[in-house]
Amino acid sequence: MAVQAEILLVDDDRDFRDALQIILENHGYTVRTAGNRPEALEALKVKRPDLIILDVMMTTDTEGFDLAYEIRKEYGVGDLPIILLTSFLEKVRQQGPDQFQHIMGEAWPARWLFEKPVDTKKLIAKIEGILAGG
Amino acid sequence: MAQPTRETGPLNVPAELHKRKRIILGELKERTLWFIKLRWGVPLSIAVGTALARWIGVEFNARALLGVACLILAYNIVFYLLSRRIEAEAYRKEDIERFTYWQVGFDYGTMFLLIHFTGGVASPFIFFFIFHITFSAIFLPRRSTYSFAVIAAAGMGLIAAAEYLGWIQHHDLLFQGKAMDLGRQPFHRVVILGFFSGFVFITAITITAVMRMLEKRILDLAELTEAVTELNNKLNTLYTTTQAIGSKQHLEQVFRIVCSELARAMEVQAISVKLLSDDGKFLEFAAAHGLPGEILKHRVVEVAKSPLNRRVIEGEPFVTGHVTHRESFQFGEDLEAAQLQSVQFVPLIVENRVIGILGAYSTRPEQFGPEDLDFFRQAAGLVAIAIENARAYEAIENLIQERSRFMNRVAHNLRAPLAAMASMLEVIRGGYVGDMNEPSRDYLNRLDRRVQGMLLMIHELMTLAKSQSRQPETETKPVNLKIIAGRIQQNFQEEAVKKRLAFEVTLPEDLPEIQGDPEMVEQMFENLISNAIKYTPEGGRVGMTFRPETDETVRIVVSDNGIGIPRSEMSRVFTYFFRASNVQEVIGSGLGLTIVKEIVLQHSGQIQVESEEGVGTSFVIHLPVACQNGLKK
Repeated sequence: MAVQAEILLVDDDRDFRDALQIILENHGYTVRTAGNRPEALEALKVKRPDLIILDVMMTTDTEGFDLAYEIRKEYGVGDLPIILLTSFLEKVRQQGPDQFQHIMGEAWPARWLFEKPVDTKKLIAKIEGILAGG
Repeated sequence: MAQPTRETGPLNVPAELHKRKRIILGELKERTLWFIKLRWGVPLSIAVGTALARWIGVEFNARALLGVACLILAYNIVFYLLSRRIEAEAYRKEDIERFTYWQVGFDYGTMFLLIHFTGGVASPFIFFFIFHITFSAIFLPRRSTYSFAVIAAAGMGLIAAAEYLGWIQHHDLLFQGKAMDLGRQPFHRVVILGFFSGFVFITAITITAVMRMLEKRILDLAELTEAVTELNNKLNTLYTTTQAIGSKQHLEQVFRIVCSELARAMEVQAISVKLLSDDGKFLEFAAAHGLPGEILKHRVVEVAKSPLNRRVIEGEPFVTGHVTHRESFQFGEDLEAAQLQSVQFVPLIVENRVIGILGAYSTRPEQFGPEDLDFFRQAAGLVAIAIENARAYEAIENLIQERSRFMNRVAHNLRAPLAAMASMLEVIRGGYVGDMNEPSRDYLNRLDRRVQGMLLMIHELMTLAKSQSRQPETETKPVNLKIIAGRIQQNFQEEAVKKRLAFEVTLPEDLPEIQGDPEMVEQMFENLISNAIKYTPEGGRVGMTFRPETDETVRIVVSDNGIGIPRSEMSRVFTYFFRASNVQEVIGSGLGLTIVKEIVLQHSGQIQVESEEGVGTSFVIHLPVACQNGLKK
């Protein structure tokens, strides 16, 4: 790999963050981490990553969503791929898109959604696909 | 809160009364028009009769008769044209009666002429007067009938006298040259006249007497019909209110139904519901059907400052037929501005507790009698129950939502640490942080299995909670089993192939849809198929068969030739956390089949299980098919 792709991993659970970071790094990615929305915004200012992995429920139930919308709207990185993580896949899948769309009055901010605990094989396959232009 | 709307349509009672009057008036009009139709035949009959009489040898002044025929034709044309106008326009009773009098007048005039030209008192036309007497006895006031009888008798007397005294010429009827008039003698004439007059008056008396009786009967009947209609209206309203109690309506819906029904049944302009606050100090308008907006400006009433409301809350109904300034109305002026004259307030009482006030408002003065008050109190009893019911229903809904939020929070908080553990385990097991020996690897694998088992259990507990708290009425629609079966097959194909299992789905082309919640139905199949795959050894067979059983049910069989369930444990298959003694090695929560059973029951279906250890298991499910209108049978 000529240039290592950079991933920004945002999650408030340090144990989970650390574990996923090691796994991703072992698959050849450069990983920067953030534990909340301000840290994530700070990290985005420093450098634009190639992809963001974002936990939905952090300090607030929708912190990840809010951040995803902010990234879409305000940071001039609207084309930045975002993968959302949630332990509530059922709920989010069933009522999420419509409900959040209703609340935010906008389109769903992320195209990809993974359930925690993450099946890392599938996650890495997806990341490869996205970064390859999928 | 629904926007109050004012109903300005005509009221029922006057409409009914009006209709009742119109029955008789309408008949009069019909007959009057029918007389015009009938009269077209008269000139023709005279012409034909004249020709015929002449032909058989009767001699008389034919020219005079034909002249009368022309006169009849002429005035009937005029009446016909006038009747067209009466038909087209809204008519009044007086107009129709006057129209009838004119017709009778002209008819009498021509009759006198006809009689005069055909032998005077001895004329055969003399009995034609009876038509008009009968007609007027039925449709016109009694005095008209007697007037007509008097005119007929007097007119005939006058003609007889005039002819006898030679004031006017007597026209004889001659048959083959001989006079037919047997009444040339004065005595004869008097006798004929006497009989004629008697006949005319007897007809008038008998028919008017019969008609008076009939008319009274008609009015009684109309009144009875009206009373029955009113009663029926009120019963309907009570019934609708009872229905509102039975259904799980929200408060606003209950108010909407009840208020509009009451307004209709009681024939009032407005109905209001004021609810008492928990501390009993304030009354707030919860619904106002038909009340003008100005009144609703004061939505909240302080009970202490309103003697009237206080009295009603203490259990004493308030009724007035004439709203005035001096009444202790908060809104007296507004009620006057809205031209509301009668009001009626009764307390809303549930289990000896006043929860508010039900009010009725009418623009008519003195609208409410004792019967209205009785009915209104009965209705208030039902409305109060409906309100309490709706409140209880809303409270339950809130509790369910609260529970659901709590469950979600619990699930998240349980899953988050497990998710972190799973990922950390993967870091170690994947060798990302260095090698480890075989016993460590074994223990970590076992640890991972337990973590996965716990995640599964949380997932299934959530599913179970969700299916149990689901409202059966909501979210059901026709479910296409073919689509779901297709998805299940696709999702589990890989797993089946991995275990080298034959996975067969049998689906007839004409399978009807079932009624239900598609997500839950899919969840049910997922649980059954994943169990079947889990508990069937490599090389086995898993099947899912659908077929319509009767017109009303679909039969579904999920079968495998796996390890089976021990006979002694069969009775506990669907209980919480049941795990067969022969499956301890396989990850499972013991909730999958409980969920399946719960979903089947929620869909008004049935489930049976047949199993033999070492041979296999099959689950047989019956689910009701969807109806045409999308409701459950």
